[in-house]
Amino acid sequence: MTKLVGGDGRTHIVSKLMRESLQDRAVLEGTNSERDIHIFPDVSMVSIGGQSIFDRGKDAILPLVDEIAEVKKHHKMVIGVGGGTRVRHTMSVAMDLGLPTGGIAQLVGAMEELNAILLNALLAPHGSMPMQRDHFWDLPLYFDAGITPIAISVPPFHFWEPPPLEGAEPMHGSDFGMFQMAEVLGMKQAIYVKDEDGLYTSDPKTNKHATLIPKITLAELIKTMPTENILDAELYRTWADARNVKRVVIVNGLKRGQLTRALAGEDVGTVITKDAP
Amino acid sequence: MSERLVIPSTLANGPITANEYRPVAVMPDVRVVKIGGQSIMDRGRAALFPILDEVIEARRRGIQVVLLTGGGTRARHIYAIASELEMPTGIVATLGKYIPMQNARMVQMLLAKHGGLYILPDDFEKLPLYLQLGCIPVMSGMPPFGYWEKHQEGSRIPPHRTDAGVFLSCEFLGARRAIFIKDEDGLYTDDPKKHPEATHIPRITAKELIARNLPDVVVERVVVDYLPRARWCKELQIVNGLKPGQVLAALEGQDVGTLITA
Repeated sequence: MTKLVGGDGRTHIVSKLMRESLQDRAVLEGTNSERDIHIFPDVSMVSIGGQSIFDRGKDAILPLVDEIAEVKKHHKMVIGVGGGTRVRHTMSVAMDLGLPTGGIAQLVGAMEELNAILLNALLAPHGSMPMQRDHFWDLPLYFDAGITPIAISVPPFHFWEPPPLEGAEPMHGSDFGMFQMAEVLGMKQAIYVKDEDGLYTSDPKTNKHATLIPKITLAELIKTMPTENILDAELYRTWADARNVKRVVIVNGLKRGQLTRALAGEDVGTVITKDAP
Repeated sequence: MSERLVIPSTLANGPITANEYRPVAVMPDVRVVKIGGQSIMDRGRAALFPILDEVIEARRRGIQVVLLTGGGTRARHIYAIASELEMPTGIVATLGKYIPMQNARMVQMLLAKHGGLYILPDDFEKLPLYLQLGCIPVMSGMPPFGYWEKHQEGSRIPPHRTDAGVFLSCEFLGARRAIFIKDEDGLYTDDPKKHPEATHIPRITAKELIARNLPDVVVERVVVDYLPRARWCKELQIVNGLKPGQVLAALEGQDVGTLITA
């Protein structure tokens, strides 16, 4: 039977953290261990680019939908989508108006949701459903029923978006949001579907000398981080302190079969690993 | 090959820094105030009632107050059990939402006859109405990050808890000072409850505070980290809610307790 303790004007419940300051480093250390429980280790997180895929329209979207409809029979995955050029336009107007960072963060999610509706409309005949914000505990039911959930990719930071390291643009977008979902649920891997073969030493759209990085560890990548990056910097920062996601893959959604191979665990596109192989 | 369909905008063509960003404050006159969990709520009536009396008095004087609540010992209890079970930080943060919510509801029930109103994180857009009607909105201080809360090296406890929620609310609303009602006069050189020789610090900058590398601080560390790069919330004021008059003085803008400045 747990005891209630008084004596200092406050009423405490007996626990390891009773009366402790949660700012105290020694106390915090006591809550830590080497590992987290892994809740869905056989599920992959798949993030489909907004600018890179959806803004290209039908020619890019439909073949990818076909591929997903096929591969979903063999692999468990949660899909999320980016917002693309409408997000950038929203930010552009919002910044001009001088809206606060948290206000901008509150606005942008609506743009990504439009792509999620389109994807659902196309995938529903093959078994897909929008997943409510954090209804993760429905996932076993989805997978048993052959349903692929389409998640909300932007994180729920909204008005509470922390002050960015520089500028006023929110730092936590859909790349981070999908990564964090894979991290907290202990998923097998996070796959980002873009319109390039992976991560290059610089932007291959503007620099023809850019070369593809096929495989790299996160530590090496952080040391040699390309300034023009296909993924948001916040994803790498978060991953460096995270401990469950071991593998992030970037594949070309315009090339049929790349996503399928990545889901099967093959090294395709750019494979970034947390640990040295 | 399909082409990307791009909406022309400054961001589509170049970096945003090319634009001059002139931020607009949303509701700069609002006082964003935290009522501590362990420090106030867990003390019950003896501590809370006099504080609420001062909040009601401030509101009567026309000061706009938004109250946010902390968690306290029940949060510590669930954090301790979740940690033993090796739950990821995002799950611990989600569990951490429930207790400040209970505390906010308790405060709302007590303030109802004075216009106390329980609001949700997304209700910021309705604040102008509530405040013009003379209400005292009350909400949980926990940021809505939940499962998206990042793991922090060397800990399983969510780094953004209710102090962070108060600071981030203040920053969004564009107010200059976030007020934290606790059971100490402010910042000390160490936890004064365990080290009676610790001395009070009336005013300090975030940079000095970080440089001191104290083993323990009175507000969440992320808040101290964010303060220098905040656009609006430039001061954290920590006041002792157990001393009569301190809360009202702080709500009126007086420099009581400890001020941590950007």
